Formats: sequence, structure tokens, C-alpha cells
Amino acid sequence: MSLFLAAVGFGLVTAAVLAIAAVGFTLQFGVTDVLNLAYGAVMIAGAFLAYVLNQAGLSVWAALPVVIVACSAGSVLLNSRIYTPFKQRGASPITLVIVSLGVTLIIEFGVQALAGGTSVSYNLAQGPTLRAGGLILTAVQIAIIGVSLVVMAGVHVMLRYSKLGKAMRATAANPALARNCGIRTGRVITTTWAITGAMCGLAGVVFGIDAGSFSPTSTDVFLVLILAAVFLGGPGQAYGAMLGAAVIGIATEVSAAFIAADYKYVVAFVVLLLMLGIRPSGLLGARA
Amino acid sequence: MNAFYLINLLVYAAVDAMACLGLSQQFGIAGVTNFGFIIFQAAGGYAAAILAMPPDSANGGFQRYIGGWHLPFPLPWLGAAVVGGLLALPFTFLVGRRLRGDFAAVGLLVTAVLLNLLVTNFVPLFNGDAGISLIPFPLQSVLNASTQAYQWVFTAVALLLCVGVYLFLRRITESPYGRSLRAMRDNDVVADSLGKNLLSLRTGVLVLGGAIAGLSGGILVSYITTWSPAAWGYAETVVLFAAVIIGGAGNHRGAVLGAILVPVVFEEVTRFIPSSNNLPPNLIPSLEWVAIGLLIVVFLWFRPQGILPERKRVIAWPAPARPLTAADADGAGAGAGDGGAGDGDATATLAARAAERPVERPGGPGGGQAADGAAGQVLLQAAGLVRDYGGVRAVDGVSLSVRRGTLTGLIGPNGAGKSTLLAMLAGTLPASSGTISYLGQDITGMPAFRRARLGLVRTFQLASEFKRLTVLENLLSAVPGHRGDSLRGAVRGRRYWGDDEQAAIARAEQLLERFGLREMANRYAGDLSGGQRRLVEIMRALMTEPSMLLLDEPMAGVHPNLARRIGDQLVALCHDGMTILMVEHELAIMDEFCDPVIVMAEGAVLAEGTMRQLRARSEVVEAYLVG
Repeated sequence: MSLFLAAVGFGLVTAAVLAIAAVGFTLQFGVTDVLNLAYGAVMIAGAFLAYVLNQAGLSVWAALPVVIVACSAGSVLLNSRIYTPFKQRGASPITLVIVSLGVTLIIEFGVQALAGGTSVSYNLAQGPTLRAGGLILTAVQIAIIGVSLVVMAGVHVMLRYSKLGKAMRATAANPALARNCGIRTGRVITTTWAITGAMCGLAGVVFGIDAGSFSPTSTDVFLVLILAAVFLGGPGQAYGAMLGAAVIGIATEVSAAFIAADYKYVVAFVVLLLMLGIRPSGLLGARA
Repeated sequence: MNAFYLINLLVYAAVDAMACLGLSQQFGIAGVTNFGFIIFQAAGGYAAAILAMPPDSANGGFQRYIGGWHLPFPLPWLGAAVVGGLLALPFTFLVGRRLRGDFAAVGLLVTAVLLNLLVTNFVPLFNGDAGISLIPFPLQSVLNASTQAYQWVFTAVALLLCVGVYLFLRRITESPYGRSLRAMRDNDVVADSLGKNLLSLRTGVLVLGGAIAGLSGGILVSYITTWSPAAWGYAETVVLFAAVIIGGAGNHRGAVLGAILVPVVFEEVTRFIPSSNNLPPNLIPSLEWVAIGLLIVVFLWFRPQGILPERKRVIAWPAPARPLTAADADGAGAGAGDGGAGDGDATATLAARAAERPVERPGGPGGGQAADGAAGQVLLQAAGLVRDYGGVRAVDGVSLSVRRGTLTGLIGPNGAGKSTLLAMLAGTLPASSGTISYLGQDITGMPAFRRARLGLVRTFQLASEFKRLTVLENLLSAVPGHRGDSLRGAVRGRRYWGDDEQAAIARAEQLLERFGLREMANRYAGDLSGGQRRLVEIMRALMTEPSMLLLDEPMAGVHPNLARRIGDQLVALCHDGMTILMVEHELAIMDEFCDPVIVMAEGAVLAEGTMRQLRARSEVVEAYLVG
């Protein structure tokens, strides 16, 4: 039982990291219609930027705002310099996915060229360990969960109550109609890249903290978890991605405790393939 | 020393070229984006290894693996191809009709990442991260594998196999089956509606590409004698994609060129970069990957068709046809000029239409009924059809019947649900509830391609030509029951299907002449004007020898003269026994050509009758004018 609870505790932390990443990914896809596989690469670039600042003497938490701004700006540039021109030329969705894979290689191995191929870790005190009802978490882990909850609440408020959120949902549903209704879809899309890029940077840093050590290619496998969470809830569905992140995060860690740590991603993988095969619109998506 | 270097180069070139050919067939010809391609090569490599090696207990247990059957050459290579092909079968559920191409690609990519992780971690399978080594050379027990002569023979065999793969793929691609693959690549929904079984086509191409990748893997491991997960990371697929894109997707020579330019050159160039200086250890390999990524993005931007673009398939007319009449030449000439304003004399072409058009496909499931099917008999019937989109009910309980030999019109204001209804009748969209019967048979759950094979064929509201097929190829692609339109038929070659092809070309020629597009036959359909593309679509539908056509605004955006000509042709077809259900906006067209006319509004049938009757009914006029 204690093993199970401990695994659930780890699962909560993984789910918290995953939720930030998956909600960002799914909003990016839903609103801008770009299946940006370079998302994981931007994450790891953010994690390494935080590492460089951390090495320079800054605390990771202090480096966080810098990373968020950098990843946000980077994502906006990625869209305006690469994806949008391709779209304007009438490139097919699959061409954009191939481009995003090319971008993945450029970013990921660009980071590796600069940082070397070895794993790195942040200088970060884990803080006191807290136990509550069988759950064992460090202060840092609790902070990660807290950050994630705040971000999720923020996304909820934005989508439900802000003008921008409504414009984003309208653009996601039907860009042409949204434009005809007076929504400046170009601006909405740019803003979406800025917001999701910021979430991507944040996710990268908390991923680095949670993972303990990471290398430039660490997010290759984490991207599988992101995709599983996104497709479980339904691509483009922010609440679906939250649900998916919770399920996938806890399921992987619990399975790691009871099967073998090396195979914990198998659960996510099976979920992803099942969803793609049976119900690609996801649990919360509209029926196809 | 030099010779061994050359041998090395040639073997790698053969292996990479083979893999690129397989990928090009999938991606460039059939439009199946297989981001997991490398796992098929990996599977072939492991299969060849464990088939050729002795049991793992034989070598002191320093490595563990399953199998170890110690089979003689060439069984390991054959096994590699078979395993590569079989591995494709579990993935066919990803590439059926329903899943978007980019989602399927993501599924395959994720599979590649995960399988690599699993093989790395599960040591008893293929010795985990360290990989398998000491894989025997072919015939190493009877020949001395270290001699140069042996190495040259090995190289020659690898190159010959590569040439064989090239010739085999060319034979398939240049056949009617290959044409169907390219049609599917250009527009899969339309190919489905013309009777192409997408699942079977994609399965075929996945299995074939998998077998080729597997064979390439088998040859590779027999040469390098080791195989480990590091050799087949997901990114290796991206290298092959880069090669195919740079060389020219859809052109097999381009695939070979790309294989030489990208994987081989990258491997070789880095050999000459001095590694003795103070560079960080991972710098050069990292920059190589960056360069691959840059090449992909830059090429897709500046030269998306690659260095050697796909060749245009020009089909010469078999024999000098009858000399063009002035009217035909006139019509074609005008058609070339602008938006399909071909106003050649319609009556001339009408008179020219022979009774050659078969009313029913011989041997088709409906053939028997058609023979005695008197005009006026109900051919297509829908009862209580409903279609929901999310919360919106686009079609709300439509019941209608279409009688044989009629040109039935379907009108209604925007958003009345006409196109949705048509799509459900054709099987492009599943019905949320209700039933459809055709020729007395319940076809509600039948996929679109099967309905098309029963003779129920639709056209689309939006342009739906196969852009990178010529006009003539567009027409030929729709021919039903072509002997060359299957993998087996394609393999048997032109001698087997050539007669069918000539017959099909002759029919296409008659249609092209009737519609005044003979001069356009060898132009890419994507380069035609809007009106001409509508004509291509109608002709293509007719090539399927349908007994019933479902036309979605065939005259929208077409010059009035041409629209009239299309209308006359349709009336003539119906006189010959064809049944047509046509969605149109233009009341004038309905007045002139359609009887009866069905009026839809807000997802339901409002009225049915002749236009004269309908005009007298106030609720119809109101719905149309107000809606």
C-alpha cells in the first residue's frame, strides 16, 4: 500500500509537469492548427537555458521568468518565420509536421552542440520532505504541483472568461468564420504561440527539476507522454489535456512501481495507439 | 585499403538507396507518411541476425538474444524481408480511412521511439543496449569472408538487389495500380468515392515498403556484423525523409540520388574532418543532425519537388483518331483560354455520343436487376436520415426516393443540408441514423468505395481532381475492374493489363472528345481552369460506368454556356438509362433540366414535384427566398 501511495505521489508530480506541457501543446494545435512536434525540443532548450543561468549563480526559480520569456519569444518566431510562411504557401498539414521534425533536429542537436551530449542537473535544494496520508513529497515537488495548479486555473479563467480566450476558442472552431465575425485571428494566433511558448518553457524547467538530470534528447520520450495525454483528452481540448495528463502521469508512475521502471512509458504508448485507432477525437472531443 | 573503402561505400549506398526507394514508394507515390520507417529496417536487421547466428549459448553467453537458428544464406535475408513486411500489418489500423494522415504519422513516430526504448531495456530479446555482434557473413562457413574477392561479390549482390528493387517498384508504379496509389496520395476521400479501397492500398504499400526496408536491414547487418538500438533511433527515419525529399519524392531515381547525397555523403564527409583538435566530443555529430534538419526545412521551402521531380506520365493516343471537327477544335481552344468557356456546338457532340455507354457494368451486383429494371422503378431510397455535427443537426429525418432514369434535382437555401445528405448517400459521411437502400439492398453501413463499385458514384462540391495526375490519368484512374489495378496485376506487367488499358484509353478519348477536352488530355489536372476541372470530375465519374450519379453542384462556377452543355449531356445520359441526383443552387438550371425536384430547408425535405408545381407553393418560395 505504501508503495502504491508513493507511486501515486510521484505520479502527481509527473502529471503536474505533463499537464503544463500537454495543455500548451493542445492549445497550440487547436488554435493554430500546427502539430508542432518541435514542442519537446523547445522545452529542452528552455531547460538548458535555465541550467546555464543556474550555473552562472542564479537560482532555478529566478531563472524561470527569463526562460519563459525566451521560449515564448522563440515560439512566436518559430511560427512567424517558419510555420506561417509554409502555411501561406498552401503547404499540407503533413508537410508542416515534417518541417516541425526538421526544426526538432535543429533545436535539439543545436543545444547538444553547445552543451555537449552529457546529462546535467540543476543546483537545487529539494527542501524538507513532507509526509501526509502515505504520500511522500519534497517541498520542491509540492511547489511543482502548486505551479501546475495555478497554471491550470489561469488557463481555465482565460478560456472561460477573457475576451482573448473566447477569441481563441472561436478561432479553433472555425478560423474563417471567426475572421468574418471581426476577430483578428492573426493576432489571436500570435498570442496563442506566445502563451503556449511560455507554458512550454515553464514545462521544460519543471521537467528538468522533476527529472533530476536531463540531456538534450531527454524530451524525445517525454513527447510521447505529452502526445498520449493530448490524444486521450482529444487534440485541441484544453480540459481534455488536463484530464489526460492526470491519467497518463499517474498511470505511468504506478505501472513503474509495479512492473518495471524501464517500461513505464508502455502504458502511455498503448493509450496513445488505442486512442488513435479507435477514437482519434479523444474522450472529450466531439464525435467524428 | 582503397578497395575496401570503395566496397564500404558501395554497400552503404546500396542499402540506403534500397531503404529510400521503399520510403519513396510509401511517401512520394502513395502519400503514406511513415515516420516509423526505420523500425522496419531494424526488424529486418534483427531477423537476419538471429536467423543466421547460432543459439546464444554457443558463444559463451556474452550476449543474449532469442532465436539463433543458424540458417544458411540466403534464408536470413529472405527472413528479413518477410519480417519487415509482416511488421507492417499491426500498423494498418492507423492508416485506414478514418485517421488524418498527420495523426497516423505521429502514431508511427511514437511507435519508433517506444520500440527503440523497449529493445534497449529488454536485454533477453536482442541483447539490449549493447546490441548483437558477431553476426556471420553470408556463407562464411564455406567461403573466406575476409578476401577482397568475397567482398566484391557481396557488394555486387547488394547492388543487384538494389537494382532489382528499383525495377520492381518502377513496374508497380507505372501500372494502373500505381496510378491508384498516386490518386490516393492526391486526394484520398475522392479516391474512396471512386471505388478505391484505401485500407487495402495503404496496407499493400506499408507491407511492400516494410519488406524492402527489412531486406535492406538484413543486408546491412550481414555486412557490418553488429546491430544495436543506437543504429536505428527515430531520427534515422528523418535522415531517410531528408534524402527522399531532397532527391525528389515520387521519383524513384530521385530517391536513389537522395540516398547517395544525404546518408552516404554525410557518413563519408565527416570521416575527413580531423578529430584530433580540441573540439568537444559531440560537436560534429550534433552539427550533422542540425544540418539534416536545416536541409529538410530549406528544401521544402525552396524546392519542395526535390532535385528530380516526379515525371509527368504522358500517354500518347494509340492510333490517329478521326480528324477533329471544327467544332471540337473550337471548343477545346476556347476551353484552354479561360474559365471553361468552351462554347463549342453542344448538339454536335451530343449527336456524336454513341450508345457505347454501358447502362450497367456487366457482372456488377446490380446487373441482373438493371436488365429488367423499367424506368420509374425506385433505385435509391433513404428513410429517416439524420446527421449530427456536434450539437448541430444538419440533416433531420430526410426520406426520399429516386427513380431510375430520372434527373432529380435537389435544391434548397445554404445550410439546408443538401451536401451533407449527398455525402451520406454516397458513404463519404456516416449517417447518424436512418437507412439507405440502393437496388433494393441496404447500404447504410457500406463504405463509400463499395457503393461506388455497385455503381453509385458521387462528385464533390469543391474541386477534387487529382492534381498531379494528367487529365487522362484522372479519367483512367476511375476505371473499374482494371486488370492492372491490383498489386498482383501490376506485378504481372503490361502484357497482362495492356489490353484493358487500351480499352480504357479509347473510352476516355471518347469522353474527352464529347466534352471538348481532348487537347488537354496530357496536362496536369491541377493546371486547368475551374470549369475544365468540373468537366474532368464529371468525366471521371462517368469512367466508373455508374448506374447512378450523385452530383454536388456540377455547374457551380462554370460559364453559363458550358453549364448548358453539361446539362444537355446529363439529360442525354438519363435518356440512356442513367439515374442522376443533382444538387444545384441555380433555379434556372432546375427549370430546364430536372424533373422531379426535391426542395430541402433546415435539414428536412420541404416539398417534391416539378418546378412548375413547386413554384405554386408558397412555403417553398418563402423558404428559398427568405432562407
